[in-house]
Amino acid sequence: MSNSGRQLEIGLTDNTSDQRTPRNRLRLIPEIVRESFAPCIPQRGLSRQNEWDLTRIAADLPRAEGVAIEVSGKLQNERGTPISNAMLEIWNANHFGRYRHIEDHSDIPLDEHFLGTGRVFTDIEGNYTFWTISPGAYLARPDIGRWRPKHIHLSVSGGGSRLITQMYFPDEPNNASDPMAILMGDDFERNVGKPYETPKIDVDSGLRFDIIVGGRNAVYFE
Amino acid sequence: MKPNTQSDLLKPTNEDTVGPYFPINFSDPLLEDLSRFESGITAQPQGDPIILKGRLIDRFGELANGTLVEFWQANAKGVYRSPKHEGNSDIDPWFWGYGRLRTESGEFEFKTIMPGPCAGRAPNITITLFSDGISRIVTQIFFADQAGNASDPLLQSLSHEDRAKLSARHEGESDCGSKIYTIDIVMAGENEIPFFDDLIREGE
Ligand SMILES: [Fe+2]
Repeated sequence: MSNSGRQLEIGLTDNTSDQRTPRNRLRLIPEIVRESFAPCIPQRGLSRQNEWDLTRIAADLPRAEGVAIEVSGKLQNERGTPISNAMLEIWNANHFGRYRHIEDHSDIPLDEHFLGTGRVFTDIEGNYTFWTISPGAYLARPDIGRWRPKHIHLSVSGGGSRLITQMYFPDEPNNASDPMAILMGDDFERNVGKPYETPKIDVDSGLRFDIIVGGRNAVYFE
Repeated sequence: MKPNTQSDLLKPTNEDTVGPYFPINFSDPLLEDLSRFESGITAQPQGDPIILKGRLIDRFGELANGTLVEFWQANAKGVYRSPKHEGNSDIDPWFWGYGRLRTESGEFEFKTIMPGPCAGRAPNITITLFSDGISRIVTQIFFADQAGNASDPLLQSLSHEDRAKLSARHEGESDCGSKIYTIDIVMAGENEIPFFDDLIREGE
């Protein structure tokens, strides 16, 4: 029985987390107003041609440096109902660990052939697929030698679903020291992609990442 | 077979921080101004256009730069564009009620229309924040000069002091005559505003 909401935790060695994490427990929502908190997100936004393939900026351009991978999975709610036509916004660092984001001022090299952002939509069965370059890990806290492990950012929106998460890579040495991974504890396992072989397509390997949108966020589609 | 008991539910993917680099190229100007439909169309949402000016503030009083802010609200007649209200004649075809922007500095300006009161509620906008260092947090903000605040069930669940923190103040008009409302959203520490848990229900 809980009579108050979650106490959010602060990521170890994460200064921004210390600055921005609410210190009070989250408040419970009176049942009578609960529904008003669940957004229904319109289907808007189109993807450019070839946007599912982050390994190239456009179909007529060369491939970026590094290891090309496929990431695929199924988007479902907690009851196992597929969520179709949801938009996945994807972004990841290049092979060396640098984002092309204008606020990434690190001196890690850019890759002339890597943009690092793309959007795809889930099909009628909730499945999605995209290709990208396996991202480099990068040093997040040079002062204490703490790395951000390899990860791909994913933002899921559409209908009653809203989730921002990251997919991590199996057996990466830096997974264990990542502040957010530490907060997830044993549940971290669910945010790690599961390797599969890709003999017939033009990528090195695949990672399966099934996404379950939890809680009351999928309320309208249960 | 669909699982149907609590324990059969699939375990959710963990929410994670959006990090500092949410791609700016995913921005959509139409999601930052809900007071119009699309460019070049003779159509306008019903209601009074307003501008909500906010500042996102961290524990040390600094602006929380690079934050992704999302908005969700009812239309001028107090009806949400959700599947529950499908077919409702008070749905405004030119208004969805969902907006999103990424603020570079931590200050934002969001154009929309004043939401109507819906079923015992005072006019409000649900605000979701995604930023570096945290996962998703949500709250609802109200308007100090609108009716119904005193009897709103969400506001009533809070202390007097906390209620005031969720109240946007009317501060002047824009050149086009839109009312301007301002609010400081303090994310942590002294003057922290209330955030709500939409994953846990009372008694669970
Ligand atoms: Fe990242």
